[in-house]
Amino acid sequence: YDVVQDLDTQSPPRDFEEARELWRVSDQATQELASGLCEQLRLILEPTKSTKLKGDYKTGKRLNMKRIIPYIASDFRKDKIWLRRTKPSKREYQVMLAIDDSKSMYESGSVELAFNAVALVCKALNQLESGDLSVVRFGEDVKVVHSFDKPFNGHDSGPKIFQWFDFQQTRTDVRQLCESSLNIFEEHKVNTDLWQLQIIISDGVCEDHETLKKLVRKAREERIMLVFVIIDTLNSEESIIDMSQVKYNLDPETNSMNLEVKKYLETFPFDFYVVVRNINELPEMLSLILRQYFSEVAST
Amino acid sequence: MTEDISQVKIKLVSKEEDETLRVPEAPLFVPVSLKRYGLSEVVNHLLGRDGQAEETRPISFDFLIGEKLLRTTLDDYLVKNGLSNETLLEVEYTRSALPPSFLAAF
Ligand SMILES: [Mg+2]
Repeated sequence: YDVVQDLDTQSPPRDFEEARELWRVSDQATQELASGLCEQLRLILEPTKSTKLKGDYKTGKRLNMKRIIPYIASDFRKDKIWLRRTKPSKREYQVMLAIDDSKSMYESGSVELAFNAVALVCKALNQLESGDLSVVRFGEDVKVVHSFDKPFNGHDSGPKIFQWFDFQQTRTDVRQLCESSLNIFEEHKVNTDLWQLQIIISDGVCEDHETLKKLVRKAREERIMLVFVIIDTLNSEESIIDMSQVKYNLDPETNSMNLEVKKYLETFPFDFYVVVRNINELPEMLSLILRQYFSEVAST
Repeated sequence: MTEDISQVKIKLVSKEEDETLRVPEAPLFVPVSLKRYGLSEVVNHLLGRDGQAEETRPISFDFLIGEKLLRTTLDDYLVKNGLSNETLLEVEYTRSALPPSFLAAF
């Protein structure tokens, strides 16, 4: 499995000191936002309080009426006649943060916002203290820059993650990202109750929406949530919201290709996405989209 | 396969005085395989010039990138100039000055 390359065989494009300074700036810019996001995530990811009473126990909250007759008939030996409120099980989850390292991020001026978003999400999840965090970068390749097995600490892990980003990759292969991520999640799935979430941070410009749609559906079937955070440019004339896409559709009658111009986001393959222009918007947007996701998952 | 789906973000600009020949400046995501003819078709589509009547009949356009006439596909242009499709290409269009028979060549 060669697209996910081994970290040890390559050296990062940015030196540690430089990355540490970048991390320090992002860390500072997202201090308050991180605690806010942490609280919101706690509410969303927190296990729902169990109100169900379950049996059979020797002591408990209420009698299980079905057990009374056997209890008497057994000469009071079968004494597990009590119901208890079952403890809500702790919701276990894994979050993979995927950052677009392609050159378009640099050219559209999305770098600062991307770094801040990484710092924000990493710190918020770390403060939550339950669940594993992994960070991957993508572009031409897909590379795990912080694996699920490692603990995260701001002083060391943060700068080490930043070292791997220089936003010079000349492709944005989101398809490969999705395929690799599904494999990584599969490898790390310790039990079937695990919630696996991927947050993709990118300028959102990617090809082959049709294929991506299939992969998004496949992920959903495997209970992997994909949430796409689109970093929009500050230059309003170049906003992804106004961007259009040229498509050619085969006309079966004339057998010719018909030109069609559609809004780019109309065919955007990810169902759960938000468009963010300012880091201050991210906690609210992320919570909103996650709540929407969970409510849809719960209703299906 | 990758060739077919590869796209690039472009921004169409024009110095034409005629306001009716201006398209919105919002970015467009187009196949890198487009040449002059394909781009001309796109501009005409955006202008609503895809009919038969005099005022909606398509116009021939020429395309310039960095003030140089585009004679190849967008992809060729990117490769020759050491660029990738991660860049936003500013593409200028003007009414074609060349005779139609010559235009068919590129
Ligand atoms: Mg890109």
